[in-house]
Amino acid sequence: MNAISYLRATSTARARNVVRVSALSAMMVGLVLAAAPAHADRMEKHFAVQKQPKITVRNSNGRIQVKAWNKNEVQVSWTNPSGKTVVETEEAGNRVEIVTRETQEGLSEEDCKTDFEITVPVFSELNVRTDSGNVTVDSVHGDMTFDTVGANLQLSDVAGYVVVKTIDGSLVCDRCAGKLEANSISGNVQMLQPSLDSVRVQTSSGNIFFDGSFSSRGIYIMKNFSGAIEVHFTSSDSFDVNATSLKGDVINQATFKPDTHGSPHPASKWGHSLFGTMNEGHAKVELSSFSGTIKILQRD
Amino acid sequence: MQCEQFEQILEQQDSGALPETALDHLEGCAACRALSADFSAIREAALELGDEEIAPPERVWVSLRNQLEAEGLIHDAEEIQLAASEERRGWWTILQRPAFAGAFLGALLLAASTVGYLSNFAPATVDSQLKVQQEVSPVPAADSVFKEEVLTVGNESIPGLQREDTVVTNSIRHNLQIVDNLIAMCEKSVREQPDNEMAREYLYGAYQQKAELLATATNRSMTGGLQ
Repeated sequence: MNAISYLRATSTARARNVVRVSALSAMMVGLVLAAAPAHADRMEKHFAVQKQPKITVRNSNGRIQVKAWNKNEVQVSWTNPSGKTVVETEEAGNRVEIVTRETQEGLSEEDCKTDFEITVPVFSELNVRTDSGNVTVDSVHGDMTFDTVGANLQLSDVAGYVVVKTIDGSLVCDRCAGKLEANSISGNVQMLQPSLDSVRVQTSSGNIFFDGSFSSRGIYIMKNFSGAIEVHFTSSDSFDVNATSLKGDVINQATFKPDTHGSPHPASKWGHSLFGTMNEGHAKVELSSFSGTIKILQRD
Repeated sequence: MQCEQFEQILEQQDSGALPETALDHLEGCAACRALSADFSAIREAALELGDEEIAPPERVWVSLRNQLEAEGLIHDAEEIQLAASEERRGWWTILQRPAFAGAFLGALLLAASTVGYLSNFAPATVDSQLKVQQEVSPVPAADSVFKEEVLTVGNESIPGLQREDTVVTNSIRHNLQIVDNLIAMCEKSVREQPDNEMAREYLYGAYQQKAELLATATNRSMTGGLQ
């Protein structure tokens, strides 16, 4: 066999091999696709509602994304890759309930995982309960409650009365308005550029971070056991502050006048305290920690 | 009829209608009406909880039995067993029914809330109120029940926390440890500085958090985390 014949023979053999491998790969891909569960597909439901519907979501594990639109309609879409949960929905009047149920007992977290994308009217009321997986809510202006074990919450541009109860999930509240009540054991709470006029935040070992302005008629209570509390405010804010850490430090980088409102504050016998007034002292700010450090910083 | 008599009737009455004399008293007594309404609410809540099987930790029952024996309300374990064999549906059996277990957990939460509520008063007021409660009632004071039962509940004895592999279980275990550490820290502070109101307030807050955490654990285990 000469060189040309040899090259032809080997290239023909290679071409055959490529064809065989390609055919085999195509078969395998086909088999994999056929074996993939149909329930991994995205499911979608629509509910016609009025302006301020009440929407309840109960999920065990998975991502829940809620965003607002200008239609009087709720759109719910979900995927559950394992196919071992079913999603039941109910609509009654102006109320929509979305509940994930296990089809068998003893499922793992991964089996229970169901991801939701929910689009709701702007002024919807939300009630979300989930164990793990992240929850994001964007631009909804209704009252909301969240009850989670480990799920992290990210709220952006929301307005209303927001109540959060979590065990070790964190909360990030970005440009939130209205009232916020949050209670966590080991989760961190961050309020970024808030327009909140009522804040009651408590966490045990988590940190609390507030970076924004205090509304003139607002009440802000932030309390923890062992994490840090850090508050950043602007020089034009008007508030009375009362900060006490029993075992930790209170670090103040702002200039306060002595508190001119209410009863005088004698120096605390226990721990470190700071009492003072910024400008007219309209708002009330109470910061309290058992052993954590409290930092008060003026932004400009 | 006096309020005390009404209370006795209410306690003895299982779920049927109250006698006419008691109803007459109820009409004219706002305090007893409130008490009766509370009883009904607890009974209803207990029945709802009874729909799901829960298994409170054995140590709770042991501790409860010891408490009742110490107060002379029951005699001894042998008599209890004898009574149980003679009458299969004795009080002990009834007490272990899920409905009562649920009610018991509810009572513990109530105790936690009460302790938290009492923390708003000055320490001297709390002490005197608790003393009065103990003198007039055979029922143990809220904080003693709470300390005996809830604070001694460990991770291993919480219903529904047997599963090792779940995120929820691990989270609850981890956070129970955090709260227990906080309780220990606060107790130490209160012992060192008994008149430190802030330390007491944190201690009560930590008790309450533990009770709420246990309630969450029970609730999540009863409902499989989905409801």
